[in-house]
Amino acid sequence: MNTPIFVIYGAMLLGLTGVAEYQGWSWSRVNQQKVLPKSIRDNPGAYRSSYGGYSRYIGGK
Amino acid sequence: MPAVQAKSISCPNCGGPVELRGFAHTLSVVCPQCHSVLDASTPEVEILQKFQAKTQIAPTIALGARGKFENATYEVIGFQIREVSESGDSYSWNEYLLFNPYHGFRYLTEYNGHWNFVHVESALPEQSRSAGKLAMQYGGKTYLAFDSMKASTVYVLGEFPWRVRTGDSVACQDFVSPPSMLSSESSSGEITWSRAEYMPGSQVWQAFKLAGSPPPAYGIFANQPSPYGGSVGSSWSTWLWLNVALAALVFLFMVLSPGRVAFSDHYAYSARLKNDSAFVTPTFQLDGRNANVELSIHTDLDNNWAYFSFALINDQTGQTFDFAREVSYYHDSDGNEGSRSNSVIVPSVPSGQYYLRVEPEMDPGAPFVRYDLEVKRNVPNYGFFGLAALLLFIPPVITTFRKGGFEAARWRESDYAPSLSKSSDSGGGDDD
Repeated sequence: MNTPIFVIYGAMLLGLTGVAEYQGWSWSRVNQQKVLPKSIRDNPGAYRSSYGGYSRYIGGK
Repeated sequence: MPAVQAKSISCPNCGGPVELRGFAHTLSVVCPQCHSVLDASTPEVEILQKFQAKTQIAPTIALGARGKFENATYEVIGFQIREVSESGDSYSWNEYLLFNPYHGFRYLTEYNGHWNFVHVESALPEQSRSAGKLAMQYGGKTYLAFDSMKASTVYVLGEFPWRVRTGDSVACQDFVSPPSMLSSESSSGEITWSRAEYMPGSQVWQAFKLAGSPPPAYGIFANQPSPYGGSVGSSWSTWLWLNVALAALVFLFMVLSPGRVAFSDHYAYSARLKNDSAFVTPTFQLDGRNANVELSIHTDLDNNWAYFSFALINDQTGQTFDFAREVSYYHDSDGNEGSRSNSVIVPSVPSGQYYLRVEPEMDPGAPFVRYDLEVKRNVPNYGFFGLAALLLFIPPVITTFRKGGFEAARWRESDYAPSLSKSSDSGGGDDD
């Protein structure tokens, strides 16, 4: 790759990194649910998480 | 170059006129009609050799053509084809003899579309070694031994400052320092050194104002400059500067995204208690622009696991970010596995008043666990910087490998190819 192309590639990469940082992007799996009733605050057990129901052995030494 | 009346003689074989462009320098000339090689050094013009080739060959650059090189105009006065036969294989190249009355003779060689402009040198190079290879020092440059061969003249046209004959052979040795090449030719105890400079075909076409475009060059020639020669150093230098810029970016976001703690608290959980484990935290404020939120979990787990389902809920709008993290930590005499802590970065969270819904889970028989939750607003995500640093490596690494591949291909054609270097060195690669 010749240098001008590398400079453009590097500048774009740094720009994208800057945007990702500024916008607060993340690799994490996060499920965004738009609407949740306010009653959840009074009855947190009524909410069913997308990631709930994990009660199982997952290994270890 | 001013037009000069060429001297003309008659061919003693066919009687045809033969022009002499090299004046007193010309010792032999080939009759353009019958292709007999004539001795032009005496008024008698004896026949040195009668035409022996089966076919007549028309050189790409015609005899008499004039081209400008190094600010001087040279005329093509001679042409020869030289051939090397080794182990049943043979290859040949073309040599054009150029003449300028003030600058003397130069040669233009062509092999598979690769051109070289050649000076005959009067000074002698000094033999040395470089990187374990036989080398020559000349003009402040080190030329590495490339190959040696016995070359025979198989076809001649025009005139020459020596008594040329087809079948003449010389022992040649090439030393390279791209784009230059130093060559020796030895015969009858006389050694001539010449220095060649690689020249793209387009430059030759431009110099002689030839029609069309030059035929493409095949393969990699001994002194062909690497297209990656300068770019390897400059790409690593660019890589360095881009990493400096990346480090500046890291520093900038460390300042811009200090990771302010918005909420933290201590909790405990036991799976043996049968009541509902889910609970909500007090509300906390997330300020500023859309930015990430990091939730860290620190536990005192010991040979156990815990699983936390979270929901980050905007108290005003009900907007919810749903996520989960497992924490597990095991250890024995062989070492440990996992960690007592974990974290998650929630992307692009708008500002507002938020609370967390937390639902821990553990094995029903697991003991009591204490854990801390900490919510930070606007933290630098070092994973992106790490990925950028990794991706910045790709171009210089590719360029380095391509240059390596080019050089490997060049030296595969050499008598001193890496796999042959020991035997070639001991033999010196000398056929002469």
